[in-house]
Amino acid sequence: MRSRFARHLQWTKRQAPPRGEPRPSAMAFVAQLADTVAEERSISPEFNGHQYAIFLLHVAAEIEHALMVEYLYAAYTLGGPHVDPKYTPLIQQWQEVILGIAKEEMGHLISVQNVLRLISGPISFDRDDYPFGAEFYPFSFTLERLTLDSLAKYVYAEAPESWSGPVADEVRKRATQSAGGDVNHVAMLYELMIETINNMILVHDDAFRADTVPMQASWDEWGRGYTHGQRGNETHAAPAATPELIIEVVDTRAAAVDLLRRIAYQGEANDDCGENSHFKRFLTIYERWKEIAESDKNFDPSRPVVTNPIVGDSMPEKAPSLQESADSTNTISDPLTFYWAHLFNVRYRMLLTGLMHVFHVAGPLASTTQPSARGQLITLIFGEMYKVRGVASLLVTMPMRKGGDPSKHCAGPPFQMPYTLQIPEREVDRWRWHRDLLFAARDLLDELLVREEGSPRLAYVRSIRDADANTIAVIETMIARLDKLAEVPR
Amino acid sequence: MKRTLREIRLLPPLAISRLGDSPEPVNNYNVEVDPKDPLGFRKITSATAILVNQQTGEVSDICEGLEITFKDPQGRVRPVAPFIELWGRFGDDDEWIHLTRDDIDVDNLHWRVRLGNVKAFRRTGDVKDRIIADSGWFTDHDYRAMDGKCENFLAGKVLPFGHVQFIKPTEQFPHIRFRFTPAEGKVYGSNWFVKKADGTYQSANSADQPVDGANYIQHDLNIDDVVYNSGDGGGKWAGYTESTGAALTIPGAIYAGQSGPNGWVSSGYLDDECDGVIEVELRAKEKLSAFSRIGAGPPAYAPDSFPIRTVYDELEQALLGWEIAPNDYTDQELQKESEEIIRRAFETIRLMSTTTMNGNQVGPAPDIASTMVRQDRADAERAFEPIMAETIVDNLAVRALHQNIFASLSSGAPPWFLSVIRRFDEIGDLSTEGRRKMPAMMRNADGRYLTLTRRQREKIRHAANRLTSTTETKEKKR
Repeated sequence: MRSRFARHLQWTKRQAPPRGEPRPSAMAFVAQLADTVAEERSISPEFNGHQYAIFLLHVAAEIEHALMVEYLYAAYTLGGPHVDPKYTPLIQQWQEVILGIAKEEMGHLISVQNVLRLISGPISFDRDDYPFGAEFYPFSFTLERLTLDSLAKYVYAEAPESWSGPVADEVRKRATQSAGGDVNHVAMLYELMIETINNMILVHDDAFRADTVPMQASWDEWGRGYTHGQRGNETHAAPAATPELIIEVVDTRAAAVDLLRRIAYQGEANDDCGENSHFKRFLTIYERWKEIAESDKNFDPSRPVVTNPIVGDSMPEKAPSLQESADSTNTISDPLTFYWAHLFNVRYRMLLTGLMHVFHVAGPLASTTQPSARGQLITLIFGEMYKVRGVASLLVTMPMRKGGDPSKHCAGPPFQMPYTLQIPEREVDRWRWHRDLLFAARDLLDELLVREEGSPRLAYVRSIRDADANTIAVIETMIARLDKLAEVPR
Repeated sequence: MKRTLREIRLLPPLAISRLGDSPEPVNNYNVEVDPKDPLGFRKITSATAILVNQQTGEVSDICEGLEITFKDPQGRVRPVAPFIELWGRFGDDDEWIHLTRDDIDVDNLHWRVRLGNVKAFRRTGDVKDRIIADSGWFTDHDYRAMDGKCENFLAGKVLPFGHVQFIKPTEQFPHIRFRFTPAEGKVYGSNWFVKKADGTYQSANSADQPVDGANYIQHDLNIDDVVYNSGDGGGKWAGYTESTGAALTIPGAIYAGQSGPNGWVSSGYLDDECDGVIEVELRAKEKLSAFSRIGAGPPAYAPDSFPIRTVYDELEQALLGWEIAPNDYTDQELQKESEEIIRRAFETIRLMSTTTMNGNQVGPAPDIASTMVRQDRADAERAFEPIMAETIVDNLAVRALHQNIFASLSSGAPPWFLSVIRRFDEIGDLSTEGRRKMPAMMRNADGRYLTLTRRQREKIRHAANRLTSTTETKEKKR
């Protein structure tokens, strides 16, 4: 985690018992911390209670964001022409389960923004680039293909602290062999957040601003009204009623605390929260995988996607050697993959920028004859989600190096963070910001139009370009309308 | 010596014409997707057109590249007038060929066309309200009027259904064809005067309506002629009233009229749409026969957009069943089918006021249009509540969303949205989740939420059933 965050999280190491010694229960640990916060203000002399709550929410947002992308990446790597067709239904089910978990992490990320909005904190979609470590997660966040080892890390990271027995030992051993770190779980962060926000001394009543509700994300708009697995469980492999997208507007302290408790319970709870938990869903896949691998030594359900792919502003003169370590990155050097990877990063930036913007736009549909800002932004965000998915599905079929064989090593979506997620102050300039990003994407698409001539990917290039042209036209309308509103009457 | 003809067919077996009052039908055209403009309107391109001299009944020319216009210079709508072709198989040969005058003795071909418009009969149940045109058997090449007759019509009055013509094969154009040119698209009535629901005459309510001395509207401007006898000894179509019932359509009262105390009161209108059968008999040593169905529908005012669910989809399911066998399609074909459904979705959205159809308040009052929101309240007493969140349904946003889904599909990634597609047995699900399934905000002919055919949905399900991109696999049946 970035040092400016980490310096306020040193207590996580200070308070943790030495390795091998029994750990206090999370509740007891958090209660102790909360007392410290309330009475001694020793965790950080630079915070008051309100600021500390916002800080913790930012940490949580960063972790939820990182988890979401990590799981998306793992799910995208599943499949490929090498997979024996008899395993297709099973692997499709796994893919759906993992994508469902990633969606739930997205719900957590959005809900955390709602709480930030409620207590007047800045919106946060930032995170470090992969690979990176965080104080509340036992492993470095890494983009890697789904293997039994990477799966073991997800099982262990999501497991309740009380989980024990031979399977737990085996998973813990497999998971920690590559990554070490027997440290805190995300559940602890949530419990600390809940304790802090629920503490009237730390966060005063007047910090909770119900008038921010129109700027928050609602389940109606973002979940499209679907819940309890009504979307994203077509194979019925995930437990009934999952994925369950938790997105709620919050208008009181009690509502915020309840929302955070539900999030903690769904994924990062420190008790055994039932079949629907992320832990149980990952564990089910892990056990089935092991069972198959024992009888079929060639079983490999994922593509040979590299770990932590990145793309530079210029093509490397010489193709770098490929690194398998979770702490390394791999630079894309195939000339065609290079442009698709950059296109991916631009789309990802547009998605994050749209998310930043939408939390600044309030209100219901103002007019039915003009494009509504909120409706257009939500559409833009969903559109970028589809494009992120589409471009990622191509990248995992493309070579890393020029002339490389994608059946041996293939690229993956780099998910590199933009240099900034800040958006301009004035509303009209925010729309210009989106338009700039679309222009950047258009330049890349124009390049790909030439380079993909005759390729089956050309249809996709044209479709995105057309869709973007329509979006640019809508944005031009928004800009013209806002410019007109800003005109000084003569 | 002519070969022995084993069997004959009229193809296509179903042809749908479109009404129009221009004497010149629309030239033949294709509707195509431009690969360089994948999200744009479909392109209407000229196809091989057959020009007929109605006087002689002969083909005067077969041309390429004719201009396609849907109205003539006078602003009249050009009808779509389909050709029906006679095809046959000879001896043991399995191949079907379009027959020419060299294959058979054309004088032995006997044709008969029967057309009907039974909309009034469908409601009143009075057999005297059936409007039928029967050409009787003929062999000539005349441009033959198909006049619909009805026992409840005024003496000497008919409802014109259009014309049929057996195209005369010539040495230059020897193929055997038949043509149906539909009617002009006019409305006929039961009374020159406009009546109110209680049977009294409507008085003029605006200055530009022609009135007689008693301030009655002089002429019902909707109708071209009065053909139906609603007086003594006539029928009950004018003034017929219904509301709902087991034997009625759902929804009921789907005819021009006005609200009365006991239901919806018919204005006694009749249109010149029809459907029916063309029969042909080859009366040689051994008689062979075939038939084709024809119908007439309203003009296509958005010919470059297709509905989500078409007659083609219905027929395909009726013919092939709703299930799909593993080897019916390649991955690429299934992907294209899925793309086509999404394309039709955004084409449909282009023609909708999505905010109104969602039940948003548009203008000062709620509930200003016939929507599923209104119908859910009327049919099931559900609360009047918009279907989707009101903020996300403006037309450009909804269209853009579907275009982005289309774009992502064209990446070759398997469809991921099957659970959003309404199943056939979910049309009456009025829960929030049920109403939000796709296709949204639209009504099917059964009065409930529109669904895809089961076969359409199956295509998407099969398209989703793979772990590869269509960009990396070769085209082969599964």
